[in-house]
Amino acid sequence: MDAFDLENPTPEHKLLRQTVRDLVRDAVEPQAAEYDESATLNRGLLQKCGELGLLGITIPEAQGGAGMDTVAAVIVHHELAKSDVGFTLAYLAHSMLFVNNFFHNSTEEQRRRYLSKVISGEWVGAMGMTEPGAGTDVLGMKTFARRDGNRYILKGRKALITNAPDANVFLVYAKVDERVTAFVVERSFAGFSTDKKTHKMGMRSSTMSEVIFDDCVVPAENLLGKEGGGVQNMMRNLEVERITLAAMSLGIADRCVEIMSKYAATRMSFGKSLAEHGQIQRYIAESYAMTEAARALIYSVARGVSHESRNRLGSDAAKLFAAPVGKMVADHAMQVLGGWGYCSEYKVERFFRDAKLLEIGGGTLEAHQKNITKELLRQIS
Amino acid sequence: MKILVTAKRVPDPEQKVKFKGNTLDQSGVNWQLNQFDEYAVESALRLTENASSGNARNGEVIVVSLGPKDVQQQLRSTLAMGADRAILVDASDENLDSEIVARTVQKLVEQERPDLVLLGKLAADSEANDVGQRLAGYLGWPQATFACSIEVTDGGKALLVGREVDAGVETKKVTLPAVVTVDLRIVAPQAVKNGVTAATHAYADGPRYASLKGIMAAKKKTIADSSLAALGVAATVRAKVASVDAPPARKAGVKVASVEELVQKLHNEAKVI
Ligand SMILES: Cc1cc2nc3c(=O)[nH]c(=O)nc-3n(C[C@H](O)[C@H](O)[C@H](O)COP(=O)(O)OP(=O)(O)OC[C@H]3O[C@@H](n4cnc5c(N)ncnc54)[C@H](O)[C@@H]3O)c2cc1C
Repeated sequence: MDAFDLENPTPEHKLLRQTVRDLVRDAVEPQAAEYDESATLNRGLLQKCGELGLLGITIPEAQGGAGMDTVAAVIVHHELAKSDVGFTLAYLAHSMLFVNNFFHNSTEEQRRRYLSKVISGEWVGAMGMTEPGAGTDVLGMKTFARRDGNRYILKGRKALITNAPDANVFLVYAKVDERVTAFVVERSFAGFSTDKKTHKMGMRSSTMSEVIFDDCVVPAENLLGKEGGGVQNMMRNLEVERITLAAMSLGIADRCVEIMSKYAATRMSFGKSLAEHGQIQRYIAESYAMTEAARALIYSVARGVSHESRNRLGSDAAKLFAAPVGKMVADHAMQVLGGWGYCSEYKVERFFRDAKLLEIGGGTLEAHQKNITKELLRQIS
Repeated sequence: MKILVTAKRVPDPEQKVKFKGNTLDQSGVNWQLNQFDEYAVESALRLTENASSGNARNGEVIVVSLGPKDVQQQLRSTLAMGADRAILVDASDENLDSEIVARTVQKLVEQERPDLVLLGKLAADSEANDVGQRLAGYLGWPQATFACSIEVTDGGKALLVGREVDAGVETKKVTLPAVVTVDLRIVAPQAVKNGVTAATHAYADGPRYASLKGIMAAKKKTIADSSLAALGVAATVRAKVASVDAPPARKAGVKVASVEELVQKLHNEAKVI
C-alpha cells in the first residue's frame, strides 16, 4: 500500500469500498434484472443502505451522518453502478439531490424534523427542478409560490423527477416574485400530487413522474434558505451532483470492460478466441484506456470538491468526459458480444440503456460545454 | 466477557495463484481476511453485545494478527465491524509456523487474560488447522474445535459448543477460560446465544458489513504494535516447506456408452467398486 492509491486515498475509503462491494455482491446484483424489468424502486434495498449509513454519507457525524467526503460519495456511486445503475440513480436523487442539498441549506429546526427520517431511509427524498417546459433553461421555470400569512401557496408542475412516485418529501424550486426559491414539500401537504409513472428507456429501477402543485399549501417554516436564495442553494450542490453522476458512468464502463474481456477470452470464432482478433482487441483496449482516463479525472477532481471548496470546471469536465465513455464502452461491449450482447442474459443491453442518461440528466453534454467555455473565457478576460 | 480473536490475512482464494521457485509469488496478490477468522470476529461480537438493544457493547473484543505492517488494513476492517482494539505482532510469513503463532498467542493471552480465545478453524492458505489445538495445549485450557454454535451457560462461566461431526451435532460444555475454533455455520442467524440478547433474535446470515459509522469509529481505535522479541517468543521455524506445487491439471475424461460400461470401468480400471 505504499504506492499512491488514487481510488482509495485513506484506509477509510478502502473499507467503505469493501462494504459497498459486499452489499453489491449479496443484495444489489441479485435483484438488478428483476427491478429493471418491473420498473420499480427497491425500497427495501434503499432502507438497507440507510442501515449501513450510506444515505447520509456526506452529513457530519454530529448530525447523524457518516461524516465522509466527496471521494467517499464517488466510491459509493462508482461501486453501485457496476451492478444496478438505475438503483444508483435513485440513491443519488435521495442522498445527493435531497439529503446533501437539504442539509447545507436547512435550519437546526428543519434538520430536527427531517434529517433522521431521510438518513435512515424511513422516508424517500426527491428533488424537483425540471419542468415540462424548462430543463436546461432552469430560470425559465414557471412554478411559483405566493406568501399567504404563515404559509406559501405553490402552483405549477415539475417533470422528469426521479423518485417522485415513491418519495415522501421533495426539495422543490419555485419562484417567489420571479426569484427562484427552495421549499421542502411533503407528499401529505394539501394540493400536492404526483402523476402516473413516466415510462423510460433505461434507469428503470428508479422511478420517475411529474409532480403537480395545485395551490399546494406549504408552511412558512418549510422555506429552505431565504426567498430568492434558490439559485445559490442549487449552485452549491452542483459539483457533488456532477461528480457522482460521472462516477456512475465509470461504474458502467468498468463493468462493461470486465464483461467483454471475459467473453472475448472464451468465445471461439474461426478457430481462435475473439480476443485474438485485432478488431476485437481494439474495442477492448480502447474501452480500457477511456475508462482509465475517466477514473483518473473523476477521482482527482473529487479530492478537491467539498461544500467549502468548489471545482466548477473540474466537475463539469469530469461529467462531460465520463458520460460518453460509459456509453461508448457499453456499446463496444455489445459489439464484442454480438447477438448475445443485445439480449438480456449478459446484462450489457441494460448498461447500454442506462448509460445514455448520463449525457442528459443533471446537465446535458451541451450544458457542460457551455459552462466550461464560459468559465474559461471568464478567467482570461 | 473479554475475548481474544486471531486473524490472519490470506491471498484471495478466487485469485489465480502464481509460483516463484518453491514459494507462492505474492506480488499482485489481493490480501483479505481469512474467512474463518472473519467468522470468529463476528461470533465474538455477537457474544459481547446486546442485539436486542441497539448492539450495546457488553464485553471487549481484541483482535490479534501476526504479519507485516500492511495487515493493519485487515485489522482495521475488524475494528470497523465493531471489535474494540487490535494488536499487530510484526512478522513475515516465511518466518512463522504454527508453533510460533500459537506460542505468540499464548503470550498475549497471558498478558490480556481473556475469558475466551476464538480462532478460525483453519487459515485458507495453509489449511494447517492446528493453532487452536496447540494453543489450548500450551495454556492447559479446555478446547472445542469446529464450532457451529456457541451458547453462554452457567451464568457466564461456561459455553455449550455445538460441533458438526459425521454422526450429527455433538454438544460440548467447556468451562471458561477456553479456546474455541469456529466453522462456517457459526454465522447462521441464531448460532450464537449470549444470554443477554433475546434468545429469539435472528441476525442476518453471515458476518456483518462494516457500517459507515463503524468505519469512522475505527479511526479512533488503537492497533498496538508488538513483536516476537518483545513477547519473548523464540522465532525458530521448525516446520520446513519441502516444496510448493500447483495441483496437477485435471486429465480429460472419457465418455462411456452405457451403464454397463461405466460399472465395468469403475470396477476394473478405477477399482472403486
Ligand atoms: C432519467 C432522468 C432523471 C431525471 N431526474 C431529475 C430529477 O430528479 N430532478 C430534476 O429536477 N430533473 C431531473 N431530470 C431532468 C434533467 O435534468 C433534464 O432532462 C435536463 O436538465 C435537460 O433538460 P430537458 O430535458 O428539458 O432538455 P432541454 O433543456 O429542452 O434540452 C434539449 C436539447 O437542447 C439542448 N439545449 C438546450 N438549451 C441549449 C442551449 N442554450 N444551447 C445549446 N443547446 C441547448 C440540450 O443540451 C438538449 O440537447 C431527469 C431526467 C431524466 C431523463
